[in-house]
Amino acid sequence: MDKPKPLLSAGTKEHVYHCAKCGLCLEVCPVYRELLVESASPRGKVQLAKHIIEGNLDITRHMSEILFSQCLLCGSCVAACPSGVDQAALFSGLRWRATERHGIPLVKKLFFYVLAHKWIMSSSAWFGRWARKIFSGLKIEDHILLGNLSLAGVPPFNKTFFNDETPEVVSASGGRKGRVLYFHGCATNYVFADIGHSVVSVLSRMGLDVTVPKGQSCCGLPVFLSGDRKTSLKCMEENLTLFARDEFDAVIVDCATCGSALRKEYPHILRELRDLGEPIGADMIEKAELLASKVRDVSEFVAEHMHWLPEMEHRGPEVRVTYHDPCHLLKGQGVGSEPRKILRAIPGIKFVEMNEAGTCCGGGGEFQIEHGETSALITERKLGNIYDVQAEVVATGCPGCNITIGAHLDKTKGIQVMHPLQLLQRALPDKK
Amino acid sequence: MDGKIAQRLRAIVGEDNYLDSVEDLINYSYDASVDEALPEAVVLPETTEEIAEIMKLANSAGIPVTPRGAGTNLSGGTIPHKGGIVIALTRMKKILELSKENRYAIVEAGLTNLELQNEAHKLGLFYPPDPASWAVSTMGGNVGENAGGPRGVKYGVTRDWILGLKIVLADGRIINTGGITAKNVTGVDMTSLFCGSEGLLGIVSEITVKLLPIPPFRQSIQAFFPRIDGASGTVTRIIGSGIVPVALELMDSVVINMVEDSKKIGLPRNVQGVLLIMVDGPESECRRQSSMIEEICIDQGASHVDVAGTADEEEALWVARRAAFGVMSQKLPNCILEDVTVPVSRLPEMIKGIIKIGETYDLTIGVLAHAGDGNTHPMIVTDKRDTDEWERVEKAVSDIFHLAVDLGGTLSGEHGIGLSKKPFMHLIYNEHEFQLLRELKQILDPKGILNPGKITD
Ligand SMILES: Cc1cc2nc3c(=O)[nH]c(=O)nc-3n(C[C@H](O)[C@H](O)[C@H](O)COP(=O)(O)OP(=O)(O)OC[C@H]3O[C@@H](n4cnc5c(N)ncnc54)[C@H](O)[C@@H]3O)c2cc1C
Ligand code: SF4
Ligand code: SF4
Repeated sequence: MDKPKPLLSAGTKEHVYHCAKCGLCLEVCPVYRELLVESASPRGKVQLAKHIIEGNLDITRHMSEILFSQCLLCGSCVAACPSGVDQAALFSGLRWRATERHGIPLVKKLFFYVLAHKWIMSSSAWFGRWARKIFSGLKIEDHILLGNLSLAGVPPFNKTFFNDETPEVVSASGGRKGRVLYFHGCATNYVFADIGHSVVSVLSRMGLDVTVPKGQSCCGLPVFLSGDRKTSLKCMEENLTLFARDEFDAVIVDCATCGSALRKEYPHILRELRDLGEPIGADMIEKAELLASKVRDVSEFVAEHMHWLPEMEHRGPEVRVTYHDPCHLLKGQGVGSEPRKILRAIPGIKFVEMNEAGTCCGGGGEFQIEHGETSALITERKLGNIYDVQAEVVATGCPGCNITIGAHLDKTKGIQVMHPLQLLQRALPDKK
Repeated sequence: MDGKIAQRLRAIVGEDNYLDSVEDLINYSYDASVDEALPEAVVLPETTEEIAEIMKLANSAGIPVTPRGAGTNLSGGTIPHKGGIVIALTRMKKILELSKENRYAIVEAGLTNLELQNEAHKLGLFYPPDPASWAVSTMGGNVGENAGGPRGVKYGVTRDWILGLKIVLADGRIINTGGITAKNVTGVDMTSLFCGSEGLLGIVSEITVKLLPIPPFRQSIQAFFPRIDGASGTVTRIIGSGIVPVALELMDSVVINMVEDSKKIGLPRNVQGVLLIMVDGPESECRRQSSMIEEICIDQGASHVDVAGTADEEEALWVARRAAFGVMSQKLPNCILEDVTVPVSRLPEMIKGIIKIGETYDLTIGVLAHAGDGNTHPMIVTDKRDTDEWERVEKAVSDIFHLAVDLGGTLSGEHGIGLSKKPFMHLIYNEHEFQLLRELKQILDPKGILNPGKITD
């Protein structure tokens, strides 16, 4: 008989012993702030993890629910914990084990199904096969109301995929200052092609050759967080082949979650899987580290090289813009001042800081579908803060936040959600 | 939990506010101290009346009840080690009144200290007690522990700011103490009796607090001392000079280095002590006091004195200070934090004594102190799984308590006695005093159901 597999790697396990139970993470947890019960708090889940690791507690169905329904894996607790406990590593590891035991919940399947419809047609053939297998037999209406997210409020899919309409290499305009790879992620590819075009346009006009590799895969994180580690491993393999390349100056990412994945999660996940006995070669981990060292969020990259931008112009009336910090950008990658620096530099923008700009929007991928009520409370708080500053545009660097906030904004107020790069592109002079 | 009792509790608080899954019981088995014990049920009432109903039921059935706020106390005060019911007040967090004219607020017990501060700020007011846990600890918990904070040197502790309380007694009767007026000597001061009573005498459901206008100006000063004597001597000198700083905090080299390991904010690693001093008031007065303080620091051998210029710089200083406890658990799992308090003039001896105790037992002890009021936090970092070391930790803790009492001090300045300091109560209380405490408890809670096993019994 096989030896029972360890639950988590030794390194991840040790974290539970460093929780001082001080409770300082309660304040930052968007879920705890709404539910006000200890199991929703990061501290509570760390303590439960400790009992599971020590064998006093099973991963019951209820425990599985706590892991999925009372956590957005937003990473706020990781950023706030003075004792350096990596709650996200613990919780995502346990989610994996919970899925092995209890399967993926049905609603989540439905959500993935909607996305997979598109993925099936995407260039990644095995991904399509996986999606078909997982979702076979499910039927879904186009305008079904799923949890907190009305699909009617979600932007439609692009007519053609961004990756198909963009040349593989867009050359620098003016003198060439460098070469970058662009990882556009699923959202830009299928939903927000405009953002992709803005990114490519701005980068090329900063003097960069932009390579957009064909056949790039999903970053794998959503799949990973939902507990299906095997599938996400395939995403990682594909992306490492395309993006772990030393000859480029940077790998630019316009999605907070993908950025977090490539930059922080790949090396961590691969090491953890290796420690748990999965066949992960040293070369793969090396590649992941190389990639991690190259990844830059597009706002971060642009803010660092502002002097490469052509002179900006003030066009049209002044707009009031506020900025929402995506969890995976602010807490995951420490990028917060950079997008603000860009927004403040754009002529014609009146930048206004909202209250609690750095707290979660309530989306959390499929969280808003499965746990609509909790998610709605968090989203409502965010919308209130947006209305309070009377913003006309909410800028944010994450397509997930874009969808969640966009879908819930009061339509009569005419507020738009945009990526900072879209605003930047508008202020650049027309290409000569 | 007995099926019938569970049924009735459910009926009182509603399905969503009654918890008894094994996961939930585990989650109310601990606080920020080391021990753990499972309750049988957890309820999250939303009104005073619900608390009263719960208490009537518990009292008639003789079931232990542990009141709980955010569970950040460091003395085991919310560990339900006799089982029974945990009443968590986190869902009672309304601000019932906030009066600018009369400068008071009436809040429910589960509101966090910071949430009150935020609302008061909007009216140009603030609530002086500011425990380092203020972002999470509840007003009820602050009253339960008579919490203090860095600002305590000038503004005192929770007791000094409470005008009145609404309390549910053990048998479910509801009483009010004090009122909303600034002066109030109608009868015996019952408010103070409950303040700091650690949930032994009644459950606080509403709290009326005094507020103050935000001072026009404030300034923070940070001074580094190559020798710890210089730092503790400075504290005594400042307090003796007639200046009343808002806050006067001390961190020793162990703490400085651990904060720096974690936060990387550029603290010098080779100094023995750092002081963080804050003054507030009219600008000219602040500046005068700052320069006097600066002189004293230099006179005491400070190698470097910084006066925070901007609000951001100031906030950065305090963020590090607030994180200090958590940071101590980074290297080793457990951090035993005590809060012995001595007269300010004996602080240098206390600090030296603690360092010596650390050497004697070969333990890493960091010292953090609300030095301005003599409140010292020795923090012993250890791994409870190492049994040999754990024995030495226990001996060191005992020595620290004895030393504090020998210097004219006391066991706890703010965290309370709970379970963890119970064995040392005899160092402070004589037999008559113990007796009185027990009689009081007997009157208010004849069946002994409220937070049993804590402080004395
Ligand atoms: C990182 C950190 C820093 C800290 N810094 C400070 C500091 O600077 N100053 C300080 O004084 N303390 C400090 N503490 C200790 C602690 O935060 C305070 O004592 C705080 O007041 C506890 O509040 P709580 O809501 O967590 O209460 P809990 O820990 O839940 O309860 C504390 C006690 O009060 C009782 N209680 C709680 N609510 C009620 C109620 N409604 N009615 C009756 N009894 C009740 C409980 O039974 C228990 O005995 C710190 C703790 C931590 C972890
Ligand atoms: S902040 Fe960190 S150490 Fe404190 S309770 Fe949360 S997880 Fe534990
Ligand atoms: S990851 Fe976010 S939602 Fe999950 S426990 Fe941490 S702070 Fe809460």
